[in-house]
Amino acid sequence: MIKLFYMLIYLFILSNANSESYVKAGESLVWDSDNKNYIANGDVIFKNEKFIAYADKMVANYIEENNSEIFTIIELFDNVIIEFKNETFKGNYAIYTRNDNIIKLTGNVSIESPTRLLTGYELIADINNNKRILNSANDESLVEVLLDNNADN
Amino acid sequence: MIEFISKKIINILIIFALVLQVIIYLYNQRPLITNFSKKQITVENFSTIALSNSGITKIGSEKLNKIDEDNIYLEGKSFLENKEYKIYGNNINISLSEEISSSNEAVEVVNSMGILSAQGFKSIENEGKIIFKGKVKLILND
Repeated sequence: MIKLFYMLIYLFILSNANSESYVKAGESLVWDSDNKNYIANGDVIFKNEKFIAYADKMVANYIEENNSEIFTIIELFDNVIIEFKNETFKGNYAIYTRNDNIIKLTGNVSIESPTRLLTGYELIADINNNKRILNSANDESLVEVLLDNNADN
Repeated sequence: MIEFISKKIINILIIFALVLQVIIYLYNQRPLITNFSKKQITVENFSTIALSNSGITKIGSEKLNKIDEDNIYLEGKSFLENKEYKIYGNNINISLSEEISSSNEAVEVVNSMGILSAQGFKSIENEGKIIFKGKVKLILND
């Protein structure tokens, strides 16, 4: 009985630790309250309830709402990797808007899942509607791909 | 003859000791006089409110050292608190005219975004910027 109790506490702590939202930076983080943003540098990790993102630099804009600050737009620069469920998005630059839950990646992007790897120039990941749009660099090369993730990869 | 010589030696030693005392006295006096006006003011376990161009900041520390008219050194566990944040750290320097506070030691900050920990900081109040140094972790409020 006691073992079960401890196990439940452990699971509770573990689940809370995993749901934690945070920003980590390896070199520095600048909080600019005049311009309402945070700039993180060096091995940046950003995690929220939706995804976890890695990059060399991050600029996160925020608004103040009910005495708390909320990130609205997050920009990630260089060596961007975003892990969302069983998918991994990669690119040189990414912008996430909280309002519509859309991540847009540009520059040598790729989308990788257990069953596929697609590459292109631009990737738009619509998290709410579970859709991915992959565009090529220009009209002559490759095609536009619309991926409906309900198709289970 | 020997007694005469030993008396002479004793007299010389006494004179030498007196001269030495005078030298010590003179050299002891001078620095005391010159240092008096530059003496640091130290207050232990204090907390106060500082009014600056950018607002009111509450300052507290185990030991406050007033370096000069412009600089304060908060020794030991210290904190800075205003309407936007609370900074808890150790050994914090404050420049009053430049409105800059900084520390190269571990710091924890509580603001309306969450709880932040870093290995040092530099706050430039009149620019509204705080630069957190080293490895930084900001745990966001849900």
